[in-house]
Amino acid sequence: MMTEITKTTTRLQDNIRDYNWQYFLKDNITGSWYQTAWIAILALVAALFAVTQFNEAPTATIAILAAWGVGTIMVVVGTLFQHHTKVSRWLKNNLISSVSNALLSLLMMLVLGMAARGIALWAFINANFNPAETAPEFQSQSYATWGVIWGARKLLMTGRMTPEDSPRVWLALWFILGMWALTYITGRPALRDKLQRVRQGIMGLWILSPVILYVFLAGIANSPVYNIGAALTGVVIAVAIYALFWTQKIIRFSWMNLISAAAAWPAAYTIWWAIGRSGILPPINVDTWGGLMLSLIVASSVVILSMPIGMMLALGRRSEVYGVPAWITWPVAIGVSIWGFTTTPQLLADSRSPIEQLFAFWPIAVLVLAYGFQRAFKGNVVAGASTAFIELIRSVPLITLLFMGIIMAPFFFSAGTSIAKPWPVIVGYTLFSAAYTAEVIRGGLQAIPVGQYEASDSLGLNGFQKMRFIILPQAIRIVIPAIVGQFIGAFKSSSLVSVVGLMDLLGIIRAIVANPQWLGLRKELYVFLFVVYFTGSFVMSSYSRRLEVQLGVGER
Amino acid sequence: MEQTAPAPPQEPEAISFWRTIVNYLFDVRFLGVLGQIGFILFVVLSVRTIGGNFSENVNKLGESQFICRDGSFSYRCAYDFMESEAGFDISDTVVEYTNTDSYWQAFKLGILNTLKVAIFGVILTTIVGTAAGIARLSKNWLISQIALWYVELMRNTPLLVQLFFIYFGVLLALPNINEATQFLGLPIFLSNRGLNLPSPQFTSSAPIWLAFLVLGIVQFQVVGIILNRKEERTGQATNRVGWGLISFLVIVGIGWYVSGTISDSQGLLVTKASRIQDVEDMERMMLARTGLNHLDDLDTLSEEEISAVALQICVLRDSPSETNLTGQLRRLGIPYEISRSRRPDQAIKKYEEGDCEIFAASKAVLAAERPTLEDPGSHLVVSVQEKPVVWSIPTREGFNIFGGAKMLPEFIALLIGLVLFYGGSLAEIVRAGILSVTKGQTEAARALGLNEGQRLQLVVMPQALRVIIPPLVGIFLSLAKDTSLGIAIGFPDMYAIAYTTMNQSGRILQIFIIMMLVYMLISLTFSVLLNWYNERVKLVER
Repeated sequence: MMTEITKTTTRLQDNIRDYNWQYFLKDNITGSWYQTAWIAILALVAALFAVTQFNEAPTATIAILAAWGVGTIMVVVGTLFQHHTKVSRWLKNNLISSVSNALLSLLMMLVLGMAARGIALWAFINANFNPAETAPEFQSQSYATWGVIWGARKLLMTGRMTPEDSPRVWLALWFILGMWALTYITGRPALRDKLQRVRQGIMGLWILSPVILYVFLAGIANSPVYNIGAALTGVVIAVAIYALFWTQKIIRFSWMNLISAAAAWPAAYTIWWAIGRSGILPPINVDTWGGLMLSLIVASSVVILSMPIGMMLALGRRSEVYGVPAWITWPVAIGVSIWGFTTTPQLLADSRSPIEQLFAFWPIAVLVLAYGFQRAFKGNVVAGASTAFIELIRSVPLITLLFMGIIMAPFFFSAGTSIAKPWPVIVGYTLFSAAYTAEVIRGGLQAIPVGQYEASDSLGLNGFQKMRFIILPQAIRIVIPAIVGQFIGAFKSSSLVSVVGLMDLLGIIRAIVANPQWLGLRKELYVFLFVVYFTGSFVMSSYSRRLEVQLGVGER
Repeated sequence: MEQTAPAPPQEPEAISFWRTIVNYLFDVRFLGVLGQIGFILFVVLSVRTIGGNFSENVNKLGESQFICRDGSFSYRCAYDFMESEAGFDISDTVVEYTNTDSYWQAFKLGILNTLKVAIFGVILTTIVGTAAGIARLSKNWLISQIALWYVELMRNTPLLVQLFFIYFGVLLALPNINEATQFLGLPIFLSNRGLNLPSPQFTSSAPIWLAFLVLGIVQFQVVGIILNRKEERTGQATNRVGWGLISFLVIVGIGWYVSGTISDSQGLLVTKASRIQDVEDMERMMLARTGLNHLDDLDTLSEEEISAVALQICVLRDSPSETNLTGQLRRLGIPYEISRSRRPDQAIKKYEEGDCEIFAASKAVLAAERPTLEDPGSHLVVSVQEKPVVWSIPTREGFNIFGGAKMLPEFIALLIGLVLFYGGSLAEIVRAGILSVTKGQTEAARALGLNEGQRLQLVVMPQALRVIIPPLVGIFLSLAKDTSLGIAIGFPDMYAIAYTTMNQSGRILQIFIIMMLVYMLISLTFSVLLNWYNERVKLVER
């Protein structure tokens, strides 16, 4: 035993004697004058901070200092023995690699420790969780009054919906949860192949789920007239699309499919009408929607609606169909501008300011426009319009579109039409989101190597076939993670609808803090909001990362 | 086998005719043309419907939307209302504004406010984002973890919620202005009414000095070029930066002295009876008034006595004359009391009524105001020495803080919110950019004997910037657009002012059109500038 200790001590003494202290000093402290100054400043700040914190919370400060001291000693001993344990090696690599890093770690530990202590005191240790004690006389700056979250849970979740409507919300919630559970269970590897048919059915139900949820949450009005014209128009459109796809050879003909395509719309319309007629699910006042439910409704409807619109815009922007030829564009443009110039003298005579004088020469703009149209888009109307739409929308803030929805929507409908607030907001937001989705999809389309396009051309595929079988399957795989990112963005930005007066999570919180029962409990509710948004976004982005691996983006 | 006549051809014309028709009908090119025609029809029809509804609704509002100055009706007069009185106040103004100014003026202020936030935001975001991105790559585990959680928190919560939290939860919870927090004894005050900072004020001689400043910068470059040539010729290293800096400082110093002496635009209006000819005369006057031998002995007097003998000075609010004069008075140790007026005629009235002994302003103002006095002959204008740039320092006076630059809490909240949020996004981009430079480059730079600073400046950053710049453009554009969120916390940016104008005047369409135009202009300018920079740093392909 004694010999052990003596041996160790001698080894330590040897190592200390052999250790090159001069190098250590030169590397860590006296390398250059600014290194010395940096170390001195760091040490000073850490010491000052430790002293001030010691006055406030002695135990915590001592604990942190002790932890740091033990860690440093472990690293020093390990270095001198030239033998590191697992812990001391990790510490040496990550926290205490040099004197400057050691001091920086100490400072950070002190700052974090104090912040953690403050948060713990405010949020947990001193906090009041009683939902009955939320009025101003129970509140304090030094602790949180969490009772408000439970007390206002109904407002936070669904806003100001009337109690009669709440079973329908529960129904919608259980429907979604049930769908998730079913998808998860049937997706297990053991059942995956056996339940092929069931999985297809569930997929169909997912596609229909927006409509089903709409029926649950908004209800259907009772209309006495069965609109046969609408039903038949649907049939005609469905058959026309079917015929187009068939002639373009992207679907195979079968009577079964044709009939189901033709019957789908009338069937759906009839069911819709019947539900409305029977009055099982009467309409709900959509303006009462609120809370988390409204945030989710806005985010998901925006993403679902902006996908097809964005896809069309992206394809439109990249379309290469024959445009209006130059021999039509130019004569028209020149004709219009010649006619326009006849108005110029009158406009000039009437003008009251230099700007109006400038506007008198408006026909020049027509010529410039024609030139740009021919030059940039080769006369392609669809590409021109798509590009203009995307760029226009992308250059203005979301909030202007939301306000446009609220303020200008009534102007676009014939007089006397009243629309519930969420709809125009969703439309404005969808237009905004579609422009961004279009750019994401266009990025995906551009990421497909030119060789793929050329190869499908050389196989003799037509435009539809090329898109359907070659390009889109690859492009969609590339853009899915980005689309999930867009969904996260839409979920986060849905908080903007509160600015235009909708009662989403943020909007309802502003109403809650004005309620005498919960007056001024801002911090608690904002922290709750941070937690909700953070959890939601974090889960989704983790899912997106997993999806990226699953889809093998960036691999072939 | 019987020889049969070859089968007659199966009337190729007829079949190929129908075939051609069908082929033509379902040809992608034909469908494309058809689709375009359909698209144009669709656009025209929907514009007709919507436009019809729109004009009907607008007409219902009456022709008041398009009323001219002379009261007649014309669509050309859509924007005439912008010249009428705005009638609302703006809390945060970059240039002078009162609520009797026109809507155009208010709108212009809004644009300036938006630009102010956007420009400060871009600068600060670059700093914060770069720092966080580098911290993410720090060897110190704690620091990289803190940076990681900062980035995650910012990326996963909505900007608007952050803004509300900063504004209501942090800034409005600060102490009242009479208990404003002061940082380390510096003249920086933080309260729930905003932040007061010392700020430079340019006097009328500032342009001369600024010209010298430009000259100094040119000189810096010239010295650099000359020394560079010499280096190339002799092969001996010289301290280019050091010499350049010295020559720069010499020129700027001369400029400071010259512009201070030659300009003579600051003046004091005093009565002849006071026999003040110079600022130094005030010291004499003060000594006579207090009966002391030296102004340092003022400490022996009580506060009431000091305020009784203090110089009463009238100035215009926020004019550099005040800062210029009070700076000199403080240096001499003369006690003074300031009375601020908004307009020169108010100040001169106070002066005439004897509320103050001295009226300090620029000479032009004084020359214009002196004849309005009852007996101009008994008053004279005295020159005051001036410096091209004077520091206006915030001071506590009663329940308020005067002087210096004032940042309102709305502005601070918006700026902090935008900078923190976009700093998080930028951090990820910076990290990706730095990681994109391969390790071999670092090793090669070390092998060449470059030190750490040179390695970052000459090898890593130029390559990382190529990866960083394109997404950076997008981030800065979003930042500029998101300044519109200021409306949620009451910052009067362009959007908020347009909204107020819209509510007051009822002209929705007109306002929306100019607002969209301005936003597009801002976006376009930003992206053109950054794309130009991108072209410069882009890899030149072989």
